[in-house]
Amino acid sequence: MQQDGNAEKRTGRRTILKAAGASLAVAGLGATATACGGGSGSGDGTVTIRYSWWGAEDRAERINKTIALFEKKYPKIKVKTDFQPYTDFWKKFNTQASGGNPPDVFQNAIGFLRKYDAKNVLLDLSEQTEAGNLSMDGFRAGLEKFGEIDGKLLGVPVGSNSMALVIDKPVHTRAGSKPEQGWTWDDFDEAMTRIRDRTGRAGDSGMYGVMYLYDLYLRQNGKAFFTEDGLGFSEADLTAWWTKAEKGVKSGLFADPKKVAQIKPKSALSAELAGSEFTWDNFTVRYTSEGKSEYGLAPIPTTDGKRTGQYLGSLMLSAYKRTEHPKEVAQFIDFMVHDPEVAKIMGYDRGVPTTQAQYDAYQPTDPVNKAIAAYEASLVEAGVLEQITPHPNGADICEAAFLRIAEEMALGERSVEDAVKQFFSESKTALAG
Amino acid sequence: MSAQATDVTPAPSAKGALRRRLPGSLAWHLGSLAILAVILYPVIWVIGGSFKESGDIVGSLDLFPGDPILSNYTSLTDGIADISISTFFFNSLLLAVGSVIGIVVSCSLTAYAFAKIRFAGRNLLFTLMIGTLLLPYHVLLIPQYVLFRNMDMINTYTPLLLGKYLATEAFFVFLMVQFMRNLPRELDEAARLDGCGHFRIYWSIVLPLCRPALITSAIFTFINSWNDFMGPLIYLNEPGKYTVSLGLKMFVDQEGLANYGGMIAMSLVALLPVLAFFLAFQRYLIDGMATSGLKG
Repeated sequence: MQQDGNAEKRTGRRTILKAAGASLAVAGLGATATACGGGSGSGDGTVTIRYSWWGAEDRAERINKTIALFEKKYPKIKVKTDFQPYTDFWKKFNTQASGGNPPDVFQNAIGFLRKYDAKNVLLDLSEQTEAGNLSMDGFRAGLEKFGEIDGKLLGVPVGSNSMALVIDKPVHTRAGSKPEQGWTWDDFDEAMTRIRDRTGRAGDSGMYGVMYLYDLYLRQNGKAFFTEDGLGFSEADLTAWWTKAEKGVKSGLFADPKKVAQIKPKSALSAELAGSEFTWDNFTVRYTSEGKSEYGLAPIPTTDGKRTGQYLGSLMLSAYKRTEHPKEVAQFIDFMVHDPEVAKIMGYDRGVPTTQAQYDAYQPTDPVNKAIAAYEASLVEAGVLEQITPHPNGADICEAAFLRIAEEMALGERSVEDAVKQFFSESKTALAG
Repeated sequence: MSAQATDVTPAPSAKGALRRRLPGSLAWHLGSLAILAVILYPVIWVIGGSFKESGDIVGSLDLFPGDPILSNYTSLTDGIADISISTFFFNSLLLAVGSVIGIVVSCSLTAYAFAKIRFAGRNLLFTLMIGTLLLPYHVLLIPQYVLFRNMDMINTYTPLLLGKYLATEAFFVFLMVQFMRNLPRELDEAARLDGCGHFRIYWSIVLPLCRPALITSAIFTFINSWNDFMGPLIYLNEPGKYTVSLGLKMFVDQEGLANYGGMIAMSLVALLPVLAFFLAFQRYLIDGMATSGLKG
């Protein structure tokens, strides 16, 4: 790493000098600067690919280490990285995609697959699989199908997550709540009431705005949030869900939405406003670092005592359709999902590794990551995992609208009826695009 | 001795006046202090926060840490994501100083043309220029991106600086035009009689008199460039070329571990150059206003 650090600094200084030269050229001559032409191939057959992802410094340091490994194994491929936080990443990516200049390979999520496929941005990686540059063998729990849409391989999963009820363990113990696989929504409501009555804390942080949880609830009842090209539920369904939520907010079962909004970006769970929160299981890592309590993972409540409606979600690596180096990009993705050393460096940072080889290579030692591994193993054991709900073009906008409108409803700025109407009209626009 | 005597005589009346004014002035001061406390609270909170553990920062209203730590600041020396902090500061400074030079030179030249030279289509061009102020940044974003992409200038500082050297910041041109129009015409007529051309008038007469407008533009340009987020976000593709505003965003992501302590410590450090720039130039600003006030 020491060496890498120096190399980084050296290139850093050189590019700055170039840029300084460029800006001087502009200042002096008013001429267009050509100092930093961005050709990605060079004389000796070395190619450079651009790789972008969202995340913070901790993920960046891990990824830099895995790239060093990759460049050692493939000395003819250089990888240039770029990263931002989630929302900024998509702002930038959207501009780059519109401007015909997205990165060669990038982190992707299920909600964006159809959207960017429709915009002709995503490369069908199945050709590279056939050419032998990218292996889709050895994935766990059917994950190799995760990034396939209409027979095209648009993304390769890198780390799986699933929805869970993250709980403040001491609070649940004090309230005498024992969530277990197969518990029902009635059991859940009872536990929430007990937490409120015995600990004076709200039971849950505000599950009514979590699209992915509502999806599970719908799936338990034979529906789903999305169909291939639209919403999979009716206004009456959502009215029932949000009416229940409104009651819960008023009676203190759900945390006071004003306080939840005030402590953002901290979560209501780690700020001790609520005893539990529905979210992706890998968020436990963040909550543990933010909060002072001990956090655990509880199963999703069911309607019939069996079905949770759950599926594995996953971040993916996707490639740009018009990349100049599809072969190298495929080799890069292949290395990142199959190499055991990569798994040891990345840990569960992006979720539990998706290939068996990587899964076996990294054994978590800290209690939080151990709990995540145990939780995912328990889902496989209980046999509750199903096929993922389709995510039509516009799913990302629907998710954001769902969260925002639910919050407005909880804050009392909208009636339930008004909120439901607003959501259906906004999502209709989003899904029509 | 006599001084003592004169001191004594007005004292009782001063005391009386003080007594009469005291309740009013006390209320005035207390009121001001209360408002000041409200305004300064977030600033002090941030300063206090920079000495807290990351986990204690968000959601806590306490001004000062129970157990102050320095590690937020010392950890900055390790850099973010394998890049030294000084890299971000150097990049930001380069862009800010480059922008200031560009704006001051190009906008004042353009303003001179609009204010002092009569040419065909001057009013139309001036209106068009003002019209560009009405275009929202986000409308221009993608066309500009495509343009710079076709010129192969992505991932350089050129897209962020080029416009500044071509007087595209209509607001500053407008500011300087208004200032120059108020300069007495006799001055440039006198200069012309002495044989000066346009450039000489611009350089020796107009520019020195425009100092307050130039300084104002320089201060605002520096601050805008230092705080610009969208531009560097879109155009720079390598963390090694990132500016401070992008670097600050590297500390926190919703999915990973958030280092709020590091982010707050760095944002305080990032305030220093802006503050220093403002302090260094504001006296010229006040100076300029005072002198132009006397003349006017």
